[in-house]
Amino acid sequence: MHTFYGYRRPQGLPGVRNLVAIIPSVFCANTVVRRITQQVAGTVELTHPVGCSQVGLDLELTAKALKGVGRHPNFYGVVVVGLGCERFRAKELADSIAATGKPVEMLVIQEEGDTQEAIAKGVLLAQKLVEQAAKQQKEEFPLSELCLGLKCGGTDATSGIAANPVLGWVTDQIVAEGGSAMLTEVTELIGAEHVLARRAVTPQVGQKILETIHNMENKLKVGTAHCDLQNRSALISPGNEDGGVTTVVEKALGGIHKGGTGPITGVLAYGEPLVEHGLYILDCPGHDGEAVTGLAASGCQVVVFTTGRGTPTGFPGVPVVKITGNTSTYERMKFNLDFNAGEIIDKGLSIPEVGTGLLKTVIETASGVPTKAEIGLHDELFCITRSYGG
Amino acid sequence: MLTALCIHPRDNVAVVLREVRKGEDVLVNLNTGAVHLTAQNDIPFGHKIAVTTLPVSKPIIKYGEEIGNAKTLIQPGEWVHLENVYCERGRED
Repeated sequence: MHTFYGYRRPQGLPGVRNLVAIIPSVFCANTVVRRITQQVAGTVELTHPVGCSQVGLDLELTAKALKGVGRHPNFYGVVVVGLGCERFRAKELADSIAATGKPVEMLVIQEEGDTQEAIAKGVLLAQKLVEQAAKQQKEEFPLSELCLGLKCGGTDATSGIAANPVLGWVTDQIVAEGGSAMLTEVTELIGAEHVLARRAVTPQVGQKILETIHNMENKLKVGTAHCDLQNRSALISPGNEDGGVTTVVEKALGGIHKGGTGPITGVLAYGEPLVEHGLYILDCPGHDGEAVTGLAASGCQVVVFTTGRGTPTGFPGVPVVKITGNTSTYERMKFNLDFNAGEIIDKGLSIPEVGTGLLKTVIETASGVPTKAEIGLHDELFCITRSYGG
Repeated sequence: MLTALCIHPRDNVAVVLREVRKGEDVLVNLNTGAVHLTAQNDIPFGHKIAVTTLPVSKPIIKYGEEIGNAKTLIQPGEWVHLENVYCERGRED
């Protein structure tokens, strides 16, 4: 059995980082949040473009994302910054995060006076939380306390034969030790739903998998039906095609290797945390940022991201481990990529041989070793999914 | 050393493990043993090569599952990609 060193939280899974998150309830507070973060080491900013002039499901998705990210175990505590007149109230966000038992502070710009006064107060609140966080010691946890987010982006043909099967092997090991993992990017599961449904723990879960993927396909059909949009309808990118991926089904079948071979415990709604441990499908579109934000909002402490073409992106406060099956990409993008699974292709190494190395990397990351995306200060992946018109 | 990898015993295409040139000999693993094909096109690294004759509308099988159908008659050794494959799923064209 494997273990990692993390930070115990008042409830739920342990954190693998011990940061203080500064989160605006609305985009109007972004600059105040950024200024606070710039003045206090040990904080991360979670700025975003939403929080007002939204209704219905769209506003609810924003609320779920911000609450989920605020509750994330990698954050010791949170400073919530509101403007004062926004739709998504700072207090609703702060109360939801505080319900986990972690320290939360809140300030509202219009109540403080102006942004300078808000920044000054926010810096003091953030400093206090950082000092408290620094006193917390790491503890040893079994792998059953780890939830891995699974993602791919910039897929090429090596992803399906090297990087994704290797990540799938790691997923199988973690789930076998009682841990958890989440597959998502439902737009990119289209065509593989029958394979996934066969792996469901019950017929009801199987049905839910089919419904979730069919719903996503129908949304896409509606969104691309207009004749003016015919050249905007491809679900795979030119980079995928250049890399040898011909159809969306081929991409999906290669992509689901990330989820290993074990049973699928359930389907989670966007922002929904897991209750029982196991392998889940999270209902979220395939956009890299939206998917990783969804994985973070559902509590994945570490994300492993496979990429054939090579992508540098990261998420504020959540390590994103980059793995490629393409040795040439690895050699060119060493500053951005954490792990090369290309020896499966170049040297004929077996998936378990390479997988053992990736599992070690994942455990080291969970114990505090920074990823290339963290070292490079990459934070592009915080991106809240939207829903227009239902 | 294999030139192309057939991932699943049901597959009728293989993935080339390095760039191959038209006319080049390609060694590919099939469940009946390794066989030699002659590349009918230049095929970039990671792209697919047909390992059997694929008549029009024949399912293209990779990972043991259908990834699309043949748009034209595809001969063994031919590059299998956008020009000769169609797929109804995930696009509206």
